[in-house]
Amino acid sequence: MRKRFWIAAAIFALSCAFAIGKPNRVRASASEPHRAAAASHCDRACLDGFVDQYLKALVAHDPSKLPLAKGVKFTEDGVALQPGDGLWATATGLGTYRLDFAEPGAGEAGAYAVIQENGTPGILWLRLKVAKGEIAEIETLVARKQTTSLLNTNNLTTPPAIFTEDVPAADRPSREEMVAIVNKYFDGIEQGNGDIVAFDKECVRIENGVQTCPGSASSRLGALSCGEQLSTKIFTYIQSVSPRRFPIVDRERGLVLARVRFNHPGSQQMVDVPGHGMMKMGAFSEWPNSTQIAELFKVENRKIREITAVIVTGTYKAPTGWE
Amino acid sequence: MKRICGAIGLIGMLLFAAAILRPAIVRGAANSPQAPSVNPPMCDRECLNGFVDQYLDAVVAHDASRLPVTPFVKFTENGQHLRLGDGFWRSAVKRGDYKFYIDDPQTGEVGFLGTMYEAGARDTSDPVIIALRLRIFDRKISEAETIIARGQMAEGGAKNLEKMGEPRKPFLEDVPAAERMSRIDLIMTANKYFSGMQQDDGKHDYSFFADDCNRLENGMQTTNNPHPMGGATASGEPRPAPSPRYDPAQHPTMYSAAWSCKDQFQSGLLHFVTRIRDRRFLIVDQERGIVFAFCFFDHSAGDTRNFETPTGEKVTAGPTTPWTWEIAEVFKVTGGQLHQIEAVLTQSPYGMGSGWSSWDDSMSDQPQF
Repeated sequence: MRKRFWIAAAIFALSCAFAIGKPNRVRASASEPHRAAAASHCDRACLDGFVDQYLKALVAHDPSKLPLAKGVKFTEDGVALQPGDGLWATATGLGTYRLDFAEPGAGEAGAYAVIQENGTPGILWLRLKVAKGEIAEIETLVARKQTTSLLNTNNLTTPPAIFTEDVPAADRPSREEMVAIVNKYFDGIEQGNGDIVAFDKECVRIENGVQTCPGSASSRLGALSCGEQLSTKIFTYIQSVSPRRFPIVDRERGLVLARVRFNHPGSQQMVDVPGHGMMKMGAFSEWPNSTQIAELFKVENRKIREITAVIVTGTYKAPTGWE
Repeated sequence: MKRICGAIGLIGMLLFAAAILRPAIVRGAANSPQAPSVNPPMCDRECLNGFVDQYLDAVVAHDASRLPVTPFVKFTENGQHLRLGDGFWRSAVKRGDYKFYIDDPQTGEVGFLGTMYEAGARDTSDPVIIALRLRIFDRKISEAETIIARGQMAEGGAKNLEKMGEPRKPFLEDVPAAERMSRIDLIMTANKYFSGMQQDDGKHDYSFFADDCNRLENGMQTTNNPHPMGGATASGEPRPAPSPRYDPAQHPTMYSAAWSCKDQFQSGLLHFVTRIRDRRFLIVDQERGIVFAFCFFDHSAGDTRNFETPTGEKVTAGPTTPWTWEIAEVFKVTGGQLHQIEAVLTQSPYGMGSGWSSWDDSMSDQPQF
């Protein structure tokens, strides 16, 4: 009898939590008014300045140089650390590559930057939230040779110009529309269907410094476009793209920053690829693992024109640290 | 509606929390070194081992429904909280031959180190290594904690374990009743290993190592190994052939698997292990003098790479980027000394928690039991 009571109480509590929590989930994902409420007086130049300041303090191994808010939250690769730990202890220099993005209305900004750690190059993805002139949130991923099989910084000297070009004011989709366009990309991966994604035919994707679509003519699937690759179902090992967050939408530049986790349960290694027959999928199909990803999309004419991502291989379903 | 839900839901949640916390409270008492038997000793050694076998057979069958579990059973794999049936449950194909059970009938917990096979392995003849902890409550599994070591870091050693088939003999031998150490003494002796390694400076008392101390890490012999791996120094030069004993006169700059347990610590060359945290001593087999612990080894890889050995040698060593090992480590302890050590370890995101501790505890280097 008592057992039944516990269960009934628990079910009711969870139902209520769901009922109460549901609107929050929608609000947190995309709603403009919510973000407007968090607006600060820090414009793009101001936010870029915070990113500058952060990177300088990082290589100086000195977080005390930063205006950190009380209770600032810092994560590296999804793990909460004290500012000063992790990359703070090992960063020895910065490369020339730096790609900034910002959503001034939300007080959010970030960057991709090539870094050196004890002489070894890697790629840092950084997101800062600035409120009342202080850094309240620091989220980072670091692609390192030691922990990521796919990494090449040799060509990362300057970011593609398209990421820094403004979109004419009249051609800017709403925040919600931009997020929806990008969200379809992740649906397309889950469903193995490139047709549902609004790809520009010239779309290029760079992951950890390596171009992964269009593919090269010498690769086993040939020079397929980004959309064609998805439709081969060669990414079937990616069972889900969850959770998904879109913390920064830079409407002026047509950029959407997605922070997602790809989950690879390791339960299927082979897939039937149309025109090729049964093929072995990528190495991530071999064991349960997840990749933590920060992916930036250039949306042009309501189509995905260019993608750049930092990907860190990690423990299966490890939290991103922010859900 | 929301307001009613809020009020009633709050009460419901409190009751719900109370229901969840009940086993945890019992667990805290049961794990106390002084009072280990609040939970009646219903599940003996044979019973505990049976739960391990039942669990692993269910994993291979990809069928968690066949297990007797408590309503709020908690499962983690490599530190991540997953649903029972996810993770290795999907990829395991068969059990291996190496089976090492560590029983704690007093608390109803059992540990296991063993080999398994996974579908996606590049070579399906390569086993992986599993470390498993089960907590049995009321003849049901209430906690399942696992570490899976796979890939390059485990392949070679897993094969070694598979050849061994069973653990080294000292682990299976009972300690004479008159010589048995208390739970707390067993734990605190094992803890000296972690405290001695953390920021090792070679200047402490390492008499807690027995002369016959030997260690396997992911199945590789990493002490007293007559054929340790060679490799290169940080500058790329071939590493000199290691001396079978630590000899300060040779000015070594990297510890060697050829050395004894004590030699490695005395060399001061393990300094780059900056923090050994979240030390959870969860299973103690007093009859056999065995302690099973989970912990993390952090290598912050910053200034701590540069240090001075007891002989005044200035050394730069250790990982160049932040690095964490998630570890399950088993110790054979008798007479106040460590005789055998066996670990299963996998790399985890730097600073990651176990899924079983508060943030403060997971960052602490104090022993938990």
